[in-house]
Amino acid sequence: MDTSSPAVFVNAEILKMYLGRRVRAVIQVMRNDAGVIVGQSTDGNQITVKGAQAVPPSHFVEVIGIADGSQSIRAEICTDFGQSFDMSAYNGLCQLANGKFKNLFL
Amino acid sequence: MYAGQFDVGSASLFSGGGFMPSQATQTPDSGFSKSRGVQGVLPLTVKQISEAYHSNDDKSNFVVDGVDATNVRLLGLVMTKTERVTDVSFALDDGTGRIDVNRWVNETSDTNEMAIIQNGMYVTVNGSLKGFQGKRHVVAFSVRPVTDFNYITLHFLECIHVHLDNTRPKVNVPVGTVVTPNNDVKRYQTPVSNQFSTHSGIGGSESNIYKLVLDVFQEPASLAREHGLHVDEIVQRLGIPMDKIKDAIEYHVDIGNIYSTIDENHYKSACNG
Repeated sequence: MDTSSPAVFVNAEILKMYLGRRVRAVIQVMRNDAGVIVGQSTDGNQITVKGAQAVPPSHFVEVIGIADGSQSIRAEICTDFGQSFDMSAYNGLCQLANGKFKNLFL
Repeated sequence: MYAGQFDVGSASLFSGGGFMPSQATQTPDSGFSKSRGVQGVLPLTVKQISEAYHSNDDKSNFVVDGVDATNVRLLGLVMTKTERVTDVSFALDDGTGRIDVNRWVNETSDTNEMAIIQNGMYVTVNGSLKGFQGKRHVVAFSVRPVTDFNYITLHFLECIHVHLDNTRPKVNVPVGTVVTPNNDVKRYQTPVSNQFSTHSGIGGSESNIYKLVLDVFQEPASLAREHGLHVDEIVQRLGIPMDKIKDAIEYHVDIGNIYSTIDENHYKSACNG
């Protein structure tokens, strides 16, 4: 077992605190421009994802990768979550997993 | 007479199966916070497993938050799946860490279940936690693909919920002399304990904190640990500020209830484990 490279649950706000680290975020795709996905994070702010395969607009996609900018993630793994996903519940989880219960995750 | 018959009838109704028998057998020995999760499946993160206490004496028993963690539920991505004749193994990455999972395939149904599992897929694993040569892994009873991705959020919220429930100071923990008067003056006692568990340490309940801290040290799971408990673990368990905990520890060290072990942050009860 190995807990050396966790992927932190983030929304756009929390992403800024993990520059250069491995993160995971769910975004709703707004548009695909030449290999870059622009989407809305669970907190409503915008995140761009590089190196991801194209996902149809309005789909929810989970991106696991490195936070390479304050609003950008370089994707390693993308999972299409389809067209129905509870963004507010996930956003709440991001806050819990980075707040009081951080010790269960990091 | 009628009431008597009714009682007998309902008792036999419930004794047939389900949760009732196990709860009945559990009651006598639920001396500490081990009252749930004994037979159940504990939702956990890999991070929690990596920090689980492993008691070697009692055939590979893991303890998380003072609760037996034999059967666990994990959720994550499948990585490096390897199929062999007798079993399928893969690494499960749940974002907090990675753990090896083994699934024995005896029946055709097992083979079919594992055939649809692919690398990069989100799965729910129910299984039993094993320690072998210092390495932790899970022997899975079932490996099922996640079809509704809200289940990911749910799983981690469940991990938090169960952690919170197991670490919350229990009001009904039998603590020696307190138990008996508790029944007599229940109405009077209850608000006191409630106030205590919600914003503990604010009232002048210093001696209560002392007691809570000592109780944690005297849990069997704590007694079994060679180095005792870290101060941070006590803080995390009780949710009481560090300075209050340190006060209590200092008090118990002074009167000889606990002693420091490997460093000034680890303490252990002087009671026999």
